[in-house]
Amino acid sequence: MSKIVIPDSVLKVSGLGKIYGPITDGAIERTGSHVGTARDYQTGSIVAAWDVNFEVAAGEALGIVGESGSGKSTVLRCIAGDIDSSAGDVRLATFENGESNLLSLDAATRRKMRIDQVSVVYQDPAEGLALGVTAGGNIADPLTAAGWRNFEGIRARARDLLQRTEVPLDRMDDIVRSFSGGMRQRVQIARALANNPRLVLLDEPTTGLDASVAAGVLDLIRGLLEEFELAAIVVSHDFSVIEMLTERCIVMHHGRVVENALTDQLLEDPHHPYSQKLVSAARA
Amino acid sequence: MSTAIATKPILDVRNLTKSFVLHNIDGRTVTGLHNVSFTVEPGQHLALAGTSGAGKSTLLRAIYRTYAPSSGEVWFRLSDDSVVNLAQISDPEIVALRGRQIGYVSQFLRAQPRRSVLDLVIRAGVSRGMNVADARELGILSLRRLNIGEQLWDVHTSVLSGGEKQRVNIAAGLISPPRLLLLDEPVSALDPENRESAIQLISELTHQGVAVLAVFHDLDAIARLATQIVVMQKGRIINNGPVDQILPLLHPGDVQP
Repeated sequence: MSKIVIPDSVLKVSGLGKIYGPITDGAIERTGSHVGTARDYQTGSIVAAWDVNFEVAAGEALGIVGESGSGKSTVLRCIAGDIDSSAGDVRLATFENGESNLLSLDAATRRKMRIDQVSVVYQDPAEGLALGVTAGGNIADPLTAAGWRNFEGIRARARDLLQRTEVPLDRMDDIVRSFSGGMRQRVQIARALANNPRLVLLDEPTTGLDASVAAGVLDLIRGLLEEFELAAIVVSHDFSVIEMLTERCIVMHHGRVVENALTDQLLEDPHHPYSQKLVSAARA
Repeated sequence: MSTAIATKPILDVRNLTKSFVLHNIDGRTVTGLHNVSFTVEPGQHLALAGTSGAGKSTLLRAIYRTYAPSSGEVWFRLSDDSVVNLAQISDPEIVALRGRQIGYVSQFLRAQPRRSVLDLVIRAGVSRGMNVADARELGILSLRRLNIGEQLWDVHTSVLSGGEKQRVNIAAGLISPPRLLLLDEPVSALDPENRESAIQLISELTHQGVAVLAVFHDLDAIARLATQIVVMQKGRIINNGPVDQILPLLHPGDVQP
């Protein structure tokens, strides 16, 4: 037995799968990386993700890389509960001692778990924020959902979060639609941290931002992950994002995990033919 | 300087082989290391020599697991005296060892563009289990030793010169001495004065008992730091012995990057 102390995992994902359309015998065999498609030609069903397994520890960020349509965002959204999964078991050590499968919670419990423990930062701030509402109001929303009632307390918390995410406080009462892309993303991150989540899911958090703005947002995310010992999943097609935020990552292709590696190893010594193609394309 | 008492090796590499299968270049296989075996004891500084393409960097990377070994064993002795095979342990176990017990300093700074110099060094210490105050104190100490003046501490690393980056890299890599230190041309971009400071620092670590495995591109650094020299050629070890035996056999061309 090895004497190396590794942190306990906070999130355990086993056998996660999502199929759009009828699930029929053989659909799994007729799709996937080795077949070159996620679409079952017999039924038209899309096997968007299948047999996805991984663990994430506190203070650790796991990367998910792959091209558009590979299933990486599907995995994130299944864990967040934004979409229903077709199969799998997802456990959070900080929720009911890891004894409940998050995928089989009733809607009310699931909503509560999500408010208290899991946050998502979406590529498009319009998905994570109400653009017609002020920055302060966007942060107040998850706080009131978690039971905060004191107006001044909520304002103080919002101020603190905006400060941490480097949003000028004199913009707190402006509607988010008037903000730049980078600042919208900072507000989204502030909102995601409102209830001290244990797990943060980041879906292409810097895609679409100018390089210098993206660098600032990445730096912010990295600092926050370290400071709050958060478990995180980072979905990105951009290797520089993955390299900066993660130590380990998985590669998805046509709905399947084709490689599971240390991030530097994936970049320097990718094994799967698809990973090799992906890395050499990114390096070109 | 070799120790009089026989010690247990910190690193024991046995028949390490590394092949790369290039699926998208007609599936060809390129072998970078063939059956490499050697040991490094505490306080030993083993310098890897050999011409360009001999496999020196490949060997460092295969030990650090940036490359996944194809076969063979890489036994590493932990602080509790138990041994683990770095070629076999899990990715999270490797992550836990990196930085804390196994250090790696290369000629390149792994970029974190918006970090300040001091912040980067402090974080390196914190990631090794230090508290912020200690990391700050030790970080400042090692930055000073490497002639990184106070006026550079709050500057983003992206604006530093190559030599400054390399010294910051060394400071971050050495803030808390690992048990095994892998060095890949850590002083290649430094001017003579700064090179001297870096060499001094590395030499002290060896005297403190750190096991060092290093690639340098000049014989002078090897002569001053190494206790052992391993000569590689085409991914194989062709000679291995004490520095005074091997050094006279080497030419400057034998240590080209």
